[in-house]
Amino acid sequence: MNSVNMQNFSFLSRLWQYLIAFLLIASVTVLFFALRDVLDTTLIALLYLIPLGIITAYWGLGPGITSALITFLTFNYFFIQPYYTLTVHRPADVVILMVFLIVAIVISQLVGRAQAGLAAATAREREATQLYELSTAFAGLPNDHAIVQILAKQVYAVAQGEYVELNVTGAHPFAYRLPEIEPPLRSPELIIPIEAARGVLGEIRLWRAAPVISPREKRLFQTFTSQGALALERAWLAQAESRARVLEESDQLKSAILSSVSHELRTPLSTIKAAASSLRGKQVSWDSPARTELIAAIDDEADHLNMLVGNLLDMSRIESGALKPKREWNILPEIIGSVLARMKHLAEEHQIKVDVPESLPLVPVDYVQMEQVFTNLVSNSLKYAPANSVVCIRAQVEDESIHVQVSNQGPQVPPQDLKRIFDKFYRITAADKVTGTGLGLSICKGIIEAHGGNIWAENIPDGLAFNFTLPLIWDGARPPQLPMDTEAE
Amino acid sequence: MSNAPHILVIDDERQILRAIRTILTEKQFRVTTASRGEEGLALAAANEPDLVILDLGLPDMDGVEVCQRLREWTQTPIIILSVRDSERDKVAALDMGADDYLTKPFGIEELLARVRVALRHSSRMQGTQSKVVNAGTITIDLAFHIVKRGDEEVKLTGREYKLLAYLASNHGRVLTHQSILTHVWGPEDADHTEYLRVYMRQLRKKLELDPERPQYILTEPGIGYRFIADE
Repeated sequence: MNSVNMQNFSFLSRLWQYLIAFLLIASVTVLFFALRDVLDTTLIALLYLIPLGIITAYWGLGPGITSALITFLTFNYFFIQPYYTLTVHRPADVVILMVFLIVAIVISQLVGRAQAGLAAATAREREATQLYELSTAFAGLPNDHAIVQILAKQVYAVAQGEYVELNVTGAHPFAYRLPEIEPPLRSPELIIPIEAARGVLGEIRLWRAAPVISPREKRLFQTFTSQGALALERAWLAQAESRARVLEESDQLKSAILSSVSHELRTPLSTIKAAASSLRGKQVSWDSPARTELIAAIDDEADHLNMLVGNLLDMSRIESGALKPKREWNILPEIIGSVLARMKHLAEEHQIKVDVPESLPLVPVDYVQMEQVFTNLVSNSLKYAPANSVVCIRAQVEDESIHVQVSNQGPQVPPQDLKRIFDKFYRITAADKVTGTGLGLSICKGIIEAHGGNIWAENIPDGLAFNFTLPLIWDGARPPQLPMDTEAE
Repeated sequence: MSNAPHILVIDDERQILRAIRTILTEKQFRVTTASRGEEGLALAAANEPDLVILDLGLPDMDGVEVCQRLREWTQTPIIILSVRDSERDKVAALDMGADDYLTKPFGIEELLARVRVALRHSSRMQGTQSKVVNAGTITIDLAFHIVKRGDEEVKLTGREYKLLAYLASNHGRVLTHQSILTHVWGPEDADHTEYLRVYMRQLRKKLELDPERPQYILTEPGIGYRFIADE
């Protein structure tokens, strides 16, 4: 119904052009009529050509020719004697009339054609500009959503559309709508498929006033959609390529893990195998001290192996985003205490100092994961710091977070590498000099970041310090202050 | 030999079964093994073992479900075996009625200690409960509500005593956060683990030699607490 209205409107505007042409001629005629006795007939005929030229120039050939015919009749009726009839007495007047008609029609046609030519040229130029704009907009767009958005906007603008919906099919279908509201209830006036060499990629559904599609528009839309299809294919290819690159990188990562891990796993396994087989083979007498030594080696190396496997599991969990802290309000010194108690036998050559204020509030952390963080930071410190040096654990409240520092008197790290030591498999020294998978610090980073905190390393005057912060606010809640019953029983 | 406690081990890994069977038989226990959940349930019903050692990762059914089905008809102690990082499953099984847990890989001393504690608790449920618990220099008299460190009486608040008494009367066993909170505070406070953290810290300050490295009140990360008393 809407389109019918619009059709009427277009028809009315046409009618309006004729009406104005007619009014122009009428008013000119009135003017000439007033001056009829002063002006010569031939002069009037010449003057009549001016409005005719204007009409053709403005509204084209149709109104031009029609006006020429009307003028011919008006001229004859009002200005050729006898007045007020269409009869002509003087042969000279017949000549004037005929010449006038021919000249008027020729002018109308010439001007009209020039006009049409100009309009076509302008349209072609606009078309070319639009295409140029579209292809420059598409160039350098790696994102299919952005491409679709631009294509829809262009179609919307060019078609003077009321509503445009662009549906993309394929592996990840999506739609873009302009304006961003629900589509009209009626079915679209135009459906233009987006076709590429490999098939249909989607379609443009266009709702608009004029349902008729002109050949020019058809050509334009086809060019638009083929440009769009090309851009989409290019974007998808680029995406596929980058996915392939990520896969390749993760493949390289996996082989790095495998080579590091097989090396690391083999070390404790060799010890276990050697110790167990020598015990089994009875080379070692039952009561020799070597026997106790071998058994202790098997036990320790089994623990080491277990820790390596645990690190790998943690890393894969961090990588896949499956590491979700199970937060509870915890007491930091309790966590530190249980870690140090467990690491007692590893820390015999070092002195571990804990400097944590009694007033420290409860912290919202995952107990097990924070144990892991302290274990890795302390064991890293023990591994690199010289014997008899001090490893120090400090904690204090800073604003709305808690700042923890684990420092050691080990070697410093070159400033440019301070960030990289949290990367997977990064080692300060050659891999075969120090044991470990090279995963400990990156696991710490993963856990601290999953808690919403930050972790960094810095060189301090006599060594290296690991720092991390943990937010004290959990889901908008501050650390609880517990009502304590102080009365003794 | 026929009076020796009978232990049923349910695990699908043959090497583990082999190791556990060897060690437990060496320690004079009678051992039956099963490698699937259904088989284990059937053997438990047929033999009425004194203790069940149950792996949580069975091929045919969820270990927590095995635990639940056993608890429908028997109070025989259950020790669960599981791998690291499955705290949620461990807690579920413990809250479902399992008595204790061991994380693979575990040491044999640990396994034997758990078995001893579980058997002692199940025999005590039938007999009388000991009224005095000793842990190092600490003496806890559950009948008279007196706690001493050496010869000196330790002043505890009402809540602290209730907490310590619950831990001590279950000494050697793991107690989950939820079970402690439910017993000492009430079911409505079962989620407030921060209460536990704070009270445990206070108890440790009053009882432990070095509260930062406790010997008696141990934290079981992600699970709960365990009180270690003299055997």
